[in-house]
Amino acid sequence: MSTTPRPDPAALTPRNVSALLQDTTPWLSCDECFERMDTYAEALVHDPTYRDEAMAAHLRGCAACDEEAESLLQLLDRP
Amino acid sequence: MTAVSRDGQRSTTSVSAPPSDARGPVDWVAALTGGGPEQAAALRELHALMLRAAAHQVWRMRQALPDPSPSAVEVIVNQAADEAMTALLAKLHTFEGRSRFTTWAFKFAILQAATEVRRLQWQHREVELRDLDVPSSPRHEDPDLYAEGNDLAAAVAAAMRGVLTPYQRRIAIALLVDGVPIDVLADRLGTNRGALYKTLHDLRVRLRAELTANGYLAVHPATPPDPVPSHDTSRISPTPTAGTP
Repeated sequence: MSTTPRPDPAALTPRNVSALLQDTTPWLSCDECFERMDTYAEALVHDPTYRDEAMAAHLRGCAACDEEAESLLQLLDRP
Repeated sequence: MTAVSRDGQRSTTSVSAPPSDARGPVDWVAALTGGGPEQAAALRELHALMLRAAAHQVWRMRQALPDPSPSAVEVIVNQAADEAMTALLAKLHTFEGRSRFTTWAFKFAILQAATEVRRLQWQHREVELRDLDVPSSPRHEDPDLYAEGNDLAAAVAAAMRGVLTPYQRRIAIALLVDGVPIDVLADRLGTNRGALYKTLHDLRVRLRAELTANGYLAVHPATPPDPVPSHDTSRISPTPTAGTP
């Protein structure tokens, strides 16, 4: 069984720093993100300028939810 | 690229209308709960939707699979579709019609398939819940030197030691440095994705407040850092299955 790769202990990379300092306000939980994801995706497909700040903040801070939202958008774009 | 950053790049010429509910019943909820042949037909149509979305998701993430062969992918897709359908039917009473039923249904399959791919990706990998091992260098203790060059990382490491609990540091390192998927870590810790994201949100708020107070981040009037919440989920103790050394 392998272990997680240990990064260079001498420094946090710029990507690490960016992820650690990501502004995830206004707060939105993963459950709330899932609840909104369908309406959010449809709104974006209908209007690419649509903004939902709480969703945007959550998706910037949660890689898993972001992957799933991106996937749903792609699926709606390619019916 | 995030779904957010993608927004800005979406060309109006590439935008198409959401998929219609041309296939399937007009009233999905009624058909799925009504019994008889209409219900059987609706369940078949729903399963087809689940398969389509699960296949789409697994295809997106296929490079993460230990075995991306067509037969292995088919098994994953079918299992994810079945489990997503069960999850959807349990939540059917919550569908309010704010989106198309098909869009609402897709998200269940996407969630299930993505979670399964990430689980398979990590099933033979131990998750080490380690603390910050960035050395505390004397040169980083001089505020004047912090301002030079690339010392933001050192300031972040110092803030992690100063304002985060050991549990928060371990969660931050696992998720944001070691790249452990949040649902995989949640499973290993015996918790859930929402609780871990709350921990992540809280520690980010603390780090941003500390870095702002120390002059490394600009105060942003529109989105001021949150106050440290009184409910501190960081006090959740990792379970022995966490792979903690």
